[in-house]
Amino acid sequence: MKFDRRTFLAGSLGLAAGATTSLLALPKYHVNRRRPRSRVAILTAESYSEDLERILWHGLNLFHLDIRGKSVLIKPNLVDYIPGNHVNTHPLLVCAAAEGFRRLGAKTVLVSEGPGHQRDTELVLIESGFANQLHQQRIPFVDLNRDELFERRLLASYTGMKSLWLPRTILESDFVVSMPKVKAHHWSGVTLSMKNMFGVVPGTKYGWPKNILHWKGIQESILDICATVPVHFVIADAIIAMEGNGPLNGSARRLNRIILADDPVAADATCARLMGLDPDRIVHLQAGAQFLGNSLVARIDQLAETVCFPEMPFQTVPEFEYLRLKSDTERRP
Amino acid sequence: MSPRTQLVRDAQQLDHACVQALIDRQLPEGGWPFNSSTAQAAVEPTALALLALPSTSVRERERAIRFLFQIQNPNGSWPAFLGDGPEGSGFTGLVVYALTRSAAGGTTTDRAIHWLLQSRGWESHWLWKWKFRTTDRHVRFDPDKFGWPWMPATVSWVVPTSYSLLALEDGISSSQDALLQLRFRLGVGMLYDRICPQGGWNAGNGVVYGIPLAPHPDTTSIALLALRGVPLNAFVTTSLDWLERRARFCSAPWSLAWAILALTAFRRTTQTLITRLASVVESDEVADCATLAVASLALNSANGLNAFGANS
Repeated sequence: MKFDRRTFLAGSLGLAAGATTSLLALPKYHVNRRRPRSRVAILTAESYSEDLERILWHGLNLFHLDIRGKSVLIKPNLVDYIPGNHVNTHPLLVCAAAEGFRRLGAKTVLVSEGPGHQRDTELVLIESGFANQLHQQRIPFVDLNRDELFERRLLASYTGMKSLWLPRTILESDFVVSMPKVKAHHWSGVTLSMKNMFGVVPGTKYGWPKNILHWKGIQESILDICATVPVHFVIADAIIAMEGNGPLNGSARRLNRIILADDPVAADATCARLMGLDPDRIVHLQAGAQFLGNSLVARIDQLAETVCFPEMPFQTVPEFEYLRLKSDTERRP
Repeated sequence: MSPRTQLVRDAQQLDHACVQALIDRQLPEGGWPFNSSTAQAAVEPTALALLALPSTSVRERERAIRFLFQIQNPNGSWPAFLGDGPEGSGFTGLVVYALTRSAAGGTTTDRAIHWLLQSRGWESHWLWKWKFRTTDRHVRFDPDKFGWPWMPATVSWVVPTSYSLLALEDGISSSQDALLQLRFRLGVGMLYDRICPQGGWNAGNGVVYGIPLAPHPDTTSIALLALRGVPLNAFVTTSLDWLERRARFCSAPWSLAWAILALTAFRRTTQTLITRLASVVESDEVADCATLAVASLALNSANGLNAFGANS
């Protein structure tokens, strides 16, 4: 065989193309948390009242969780306080969850959050009613924005970042519970249990807001964070959700539901369906379904109510209009 | 004893208690952590504690200054906390301000100012400027008016810009450095550009997706302190008016203390706010060292001593 310069060049180009294709085909995650099946429970709750404790206790028992002797960290969605806007996870639901985990035998239960815009976390706690509720129930709170920090290698490489500084409190917890407020979001389409984990990234290092995550890609950052900080359980507040221009200035939308799950992808896919949105069109859910959990209806056991699509899907900003399931055929699971 | 004298005496007593708590919480290496239960020194609480410590706390101040000198990055900036990477943080301006006020400037702060003059929000880059003008227009702002970011490779935000302006203000009257003058002017312009429609500042923008954002009391106060050297104008007075109204029903010590410092700097009345701060700080165990330091600075301002000076 003749091996001239032209053959060499063509061969080299072929090799380079092959290598590039192989690199692009390599998975971007270095951990696989997807189990064969996931469990979700959709519970009806008509209002934010003392009755939430009973409803949640019933829901938690459906999962037979073994958290005896474990340290439980509850991560609500606490962004800012805007009178009249349903921005944050409701404090009564958070306290009901804390009480439930205590009754299940947790060694410790604490609530922690690192708000993205508001530097004065205590101000948000006071004005949103959290401070009072937490004080009454003697539940400790840790501001993740001002916690002691440790650098951790990321277990996925969607952003291209190698590591993140993370708060000691989150790293030392045995059982992390993401408690999002179900909302449409103008930058990421939705903010559910996975997006809620942005709050564990500390402001002291990354600023207010955590702007580097926006520049690296919000969907990509969600995947890297959730790969590195496992979410063990989800309790989503969809009693009064938010549609339109979330996360701060959208409109209230009543769903009268609480969603519990042992898998963040299954939880978020179910929430998306309850919002009338297609989980397969949400980038971080589609990618997360490869290694963080299950989004397929067939892989999710519904332990309580069945998923019912709303007659009218949630409003979104125009950029995320494509997420909405518009026809009956589309809405059929 | 007049109510005013009583107020000053109470504030002084509580300030002494805050200072003593700060002294007790100083870490062996000379810095302060945010949360007193941790041992990781951070730059913001350290700079604020240095500003809060009285000149009689000679040993503690020297240790704090030595610590800040030791952790300065090779490029002249400061990290956000001990162990952080060397690229520089948005707290650098605050450290320069605290060291300058402590008469500990010199080469160290000169190097930091050099770094500040090179550091800029990414919206200043032609490519991103083009993006924000054409395809990404949901946030209302003028990318020609830029300040300083929290960390490199991100856009400008109000707090790091305000801290940087505080650092540069000393050089404005004495230096002929054209770049320094330009960056100061652009930084002030950025603050005016990103102001909320009702006055005051949110984290970085005033209007997103056509909706006005609500200002934050602490961010507004820090921005106002950075602007106290510029002639009074509508941006400043509207923001002061908003802050005065907002502070009336604020009981979180961090925001309340910053509001007192800003309002005092502009000679607005703060007696009732100081009384409230005193009651909040006294009744609460303030675990956060940065909050304790700002509370101390605010209580001290009742005595006519404002570490951030006054509007001229």
